[in-house]
Amino acid sequence: MALFTLENISVAYNKQNILQDFNLEIEEGKFVSLLGPSGCGKTTTLRLIAGFLESNNGKFLYKGKDYTKVPVNKRNFGFVFQNYALFPHLTIFDNVAFGLRLRKASKSEIEKRVASVLEIVNLRGFEKRYPKELSGGQRQRVAIARALVIEPDLLLFDEPLSNLDANLRENMRIEIRRIQQELGITTVYVSHDQEECFAISDQVAIMNKGIIEQLSDPATIYNYPKTKFVADFIGFKNFIDFEDQTIHENEIELTKSGYTFIVQKNKENSDTDKKVGAIRPDNLVIRPIQGPVTSTKNALPGKVKIRTYLGRSYQYIVETPIGDFTVNQEMLVPYQVGEEIILEFPANNMVLVK
Amino acid sequence: MRNRTIYLLLLPGALFLTIFMVIPILLTIGSTFFNEGSFSFEGYLHYFQDKYFIGILLTTLRVSLVTTFICILLGFPVAYYISKVGTRTKVLLLLLSIFPLLTSSVVRSFSWMIIIGKNGVLNKLLLSIGLIEEPLNILYTPTAIIIGLVHLFLPLIIITLIGVLENMDEDLLTAAESLGASRLGVFAKVVLPLSMPGLVIGSILVFVGSFTAYTTPALLGGKQRVISTFLYQNATTLNDWHTAAIVATIMIVITLLVTIIMNQIAYKINPKG
Ligand SMILES: Nc1ncnc2c1ncn2[C@@H]1O[C@H](COP(=O)(O)OP(=O)(O)O)[C@@H](O)[C@H]1O
Ligand SMILES: [Mg+2]
Repeated sequence: MALFTLENISVAYNKQNILQDFNLEIEEGKFVSLLGPSGCGKTTTLRLIAGFLESNNGKFLYKGKDYTKVPVNKRNFGFVFQNYALFPHLTIFDNVAFGLRLRKASKSEIEKRVASVLEIVNLRGFEKRYPKELSGGQRQRVAIARALVIEPDLLLFDEPLSNLDANLRENMRIEIRRIQQELGITTVYVSHDQEECFAISDQVAIMNKGIIEQLSDPATIYNYPKTKFVADFIGFKNFIDFEDQTIHENEIELTKSGYTFIVQKNKENSDTDKKVGAIRPDNLVIRPIQGPVTSTKNALPGKVKIRTYLGRSYQYIVETPIGDFTVNQEMLVPYQVGEEIILEFPANNMVLVK
Repeated sequence: MRNRTIYLLLLPGALFLTIFMVIPILLTIGSTFFNEGSFSFEGYLHYFQDKYFIGILLTTLRVSLVTTFICILLGFPVAYYISKVGTRTKVLLLLLSIFPLLTSSVVRSFSWMIIIGKNGVLNKLLLSIGLIEEPLNILYTPTAIIIGLVHLFLPLIIITLIGVLENMDEDLLTAAESLGASRLGVFAKVVLPLSMPGLVIGSILVFVGSFTAYTTPALLGGKQRVISTFLYQNATTLNDWHTAAIVATIMIVITLLVTIIMNQIAYKINPKG
């Protein structure tokens, strides 16, 4: 059952719609990420859930109750800000105790709960310090502790790791996941970092210009993107807009400018309005032209246009009659720029998207 | 080497202040402890037993504190509003709010006389709508002085508060709310403590300004003396410079004391401020 639902939500800034007819459903106990390019409305969505923003229409349901007009301070959701937003005039202890004091908890209870939550984020012994006296990672952990201590019904993160350096980011995301699983709190996490979202989430929602293009578990999104935008966003750099499509029993046959392509059929691609083929640079194969001709299907004649050394592999831009393709290939003796080659599209690596 | 030469830049200013301010002040203070050539506290003892003088001192203190308090109450919402509007509106509102500072105290005080005088605009208005039976006696009372001083010093509080409020991270307020704070709670626990640096500077400016103001109380206070008009009377009318020096020293000490006390209060509320 869904813990909360956004129904036909719209949000506008200066009369410009950022979210329109926005829908989202999140299940209890799940860790869900909102992933998308900067400016696509992730923060807006999160702030709406938190109650910092009001929607022009639509509904926000929480456990079946209408929460649309419930004010921020009555929602009991924990929010972790990108820039931490710790109170600079309060010690770490007082920062964490802030929410408990407002709930009129007794002194001994406050001490007990602050201690235990500081234990969870590994910050015992820092109680008397001020935020200024901590490193970025420590501040972020205080921010998490401050949100956790009120035992929130929902935990909301807005790019919590984007101000940290790469190493710390990886440690912190493991830590966030551990804490979330330990406490079983439903979590919505916003980021523009694909790897981070995939590593940490049960489900990922890919957002584009104020709408969710796809909401699935990370592996499904990685292997079977539904739309061209999602495919592009997660690294399918090559696209073919097919003209014709025939669905056979086990495979789908597609054509483009007289060239024929076969794509293996699976439960994700039998949709007839998916007519764009997408393939990752790593999955394309360049073959020398003088080799044995195996099949005329799933292959294009081409010419190497640009070659870049990436260390582990070479990246080629290959010119073909139906456009340019990007290919990554590991090899000792690379192809030369200007060399005529055959470009192969393995049938089990091409996906069809809208 | 550079570090040392950079202090030379301070020299002209420091020299000027020493010759024209520090030395005269020290001489003035020093002179108050000598009575007919011998060292004594007699001057001070005399003043602290003088009911008339104590009365003036207390009135001045009360007027200054009330003025400061009213300025804070009126200035906070205005400053908060101005700190939130767009740049162009902000410049306009700032100019409007510092306008009182740009007009002469004499002109300002005379306008207030016209408004709050016995036959002034205010009384006429209140009488005509039947709210009062007799004209109110506001002019030439401490209340009149307070009205004039608030008008004069409100801009100082507004400007210093805008400084801190503008730099306050909006997310801090949102964070407090999401942790369960009401609007009032957010103000008391976050906005107020974080405004302390500006509030203290503004309050000290207003207090010291009110405590030492001359023109406004002289014109609006009538026979009601405050400490600076009393000082002036001793120095010029009565030509009693010894007494004037003692009163001046008392003013300096009280100003310092109040500044220290306000700083202490601010530190209590926001130790990191
Ligand atoms: N306070 C605001 N006023 C006007 N426009 C805003 C405001 N906040 C965000 N926007 C606009 O809304 C869009 C979505 O913003 P946001 O939700 O912050 O995106 P994201 O978090 O995905 O980067 C952006 O185009 C941004 O410029
Ligand atoms: Mg954002």
